[in-house]
Amino acid sequence: MFYQTRLRTITLILALGFLAVYASFGSYFAREIVIEITILAILAISLDFCAGFGGMVSLCHGAIMGISAYAFTIMSVKLGLPSVPSAMIGLMAAVVFSGLVGWVTARTSGIFFIMATLAFGQMAYTFFFKSRWLGGDDGMGGIDRFNLSWLGVDMNDALVFALFGVAVLLLVYVIAAILLRSGFGRILSGIHSNENRMQAVGINTANHKAMAMAASGLMAGIAGILAAQHTLYISPELLIWTVSGEVLLVVILGGIGTLIGPVVGAIMLVMLKHELSNYTDYWHMVVGMVLIFAVLAGGRGIFGQIEYWLITRHSPKTPHLPPAKEKDLA
Amino acid sequence: MLEVKHLSKDFGGITVIRDLSFTVNAGERRVILGPNGAGKTTLFHLLTGVEKASSGSISFAGKNISKMNAVERARVGIARSYQKNNLFEHLTIRENLMLAAAAATGKSRWFFRDVINQADMKTRIEETAEQVALTDQLDLMVSAVSYGNRRQLEVGLALATKPALLLMDEPTSGVGPAMIDTFHQLLETLPRDITILIIEHDMDLAFSIADRITVLNFGEKVFEGTPEDTRGNPTVRQIYLGGGDGTYGATNDHA
Repeated sequence: MFYQTRLRTITLILALGFLAVYASFGSYFAREIVIEITILAILAISLDFCAGFGGMVSLCHGAIMGISAYAFTIMSVKLGLPSVPSAMIGLMAAVVFSGLVGWVTARTSGIFFIMATLAFGQMAYTFFFKSRWLGGDDGMGGIDRFNLSWLGVDMNDALVFALFGVAVLLLVYVIAAILLRSGFGRILSGIHSNENRMQAVGINTANHKAMAMAASGLMAGIAGILAAQHTLYISPELLIWTVSGEVLLVVILGGIGTLIGPVVGAIMLVMLKHELSNYTDYWHMVVGMVLIFAVLAGGRGIFGQIEYWLITRHSPKTPHLPPAKEKDLA
Repeated sequence: MLEVKHLSKDFGGITVIRDLSFTVNAGERRVILGPNGAGKTTLFHLLTGVEKASSGSISFAGKNISKMNAVERARVGIARSYQKNNLFEHLTIRENLMLAAAAATGKSRWFFRDVINQADMKTRIEETAEQVALTDQLDLMVSAVSYGNRRQLEVGLALATKPALLLMDEPTSGVGPAMIDTFHQLLETLPRDITILIIEHDMDLAFSIADRITVLNFGEKVFEGTPEDTRGNPTVRQIYLGGGDGTYGATNDHA
């Protein structure tokens, strides 16, 4: 069950602060890293929402992101709509697709759910890969970023866009946190804990899970719009299942079911990747070892483990993690 | 309140419930007795909609609910506690009761507001905790409390939905004598606006709380009456003590 604890709020502020400072005082390259982190972190929050709190370990989040990016690009580039309505349609496409995936797969669980989502993701990937109108494997270019000149800022500036990404990350975190601590989110946690009993007290769990997937799809869709506007170009590579795999890795590395953990995981993975690739082409192996260590160390992930230490140190006699004190989202 | 007519259930070739009819009045405490395999738990599955009956009908509060699924039946006010604990593990007792109460009051559609600290919910959680004597354990994890406490919570989850009809499947199964007293008290203090159907193996408890008793054997109703009549009934004695002509024995390999 989700609680926005003081530790989580502090970690959120530190993480977002770090990204903002790193972008502000870093090189162009640093700004690119920051935007890469924010996209990955948003997608990881989206996945943690359904996997960490609803038990739905999806392997199609890359595809959901890609569908949003494609729908956005089709509207703005192919049909010439302004970027804001295009983005809205992109988000709607992501919500509809993920809601549909959720609705169809709601009666499955565990490995079958994972495989079903993988199949949906691959279908979406193949569709865009084969579609000549959408550029096939070459993808599409010609995307414009949102026009924020009325705010006096130029989105084509790398720093402005990186800070925009950080702001969107904060927005997505707040959306996820509000949903998770609402009645809807509490019931979702209940379904994760014991679906059978949740039905016995009168919840249509299949519908609830489908709605949770749709909400998760909204967040993944936001990552898709940001990704399309970042590279100004999209291709079916966004939808490949390894993208979804990497997001899952980030969620586990940071701490599944903690919401802020995935943000920490995204920062760690991208930073590790860029730092290590200066020294070795085998950086994947180092990341792999870090992941194995994180899993062996109790599966709580990096943030999850630190949170566990801090809580058990303050109340060593409590054998189980007590519920954290609820702090309002300020 | 509850009217069961000619209810039957077959699993493949095995008939587990056979042409069962009975009526339970509003506010009544009805005990279901019967040896292992008599079909008591299957009857609860049929009443809650977890299993579909092969034939027959079930009416609740004047409405035919035979076609309703489990979720719809929960929503019309039928709640159930399980023979084996079926709780929300890895959560606290407060969170467990909150989930049941939130589900029953339609708060699963609250997308922005929290339900844990909401006034109505708080009252309901605390009231239920008091009913099942778990007030002091509210903020403990389910995994950190005793087995007896978990049995109390099992009933608490059903009560938190404020049901009109409560089906209790052996609430005292596996608990010690002291805990049985707790359950005895609990059952006696529950308000009469809840109708209770209870499967119970502790005879003292069963006979002292029951208004009427229905005895099942091999899926059939063999007796129904007041506790006094039940005690004196030769068929019931035969089922429970064995012997006689061997028609009702201790060996029972029916499902």
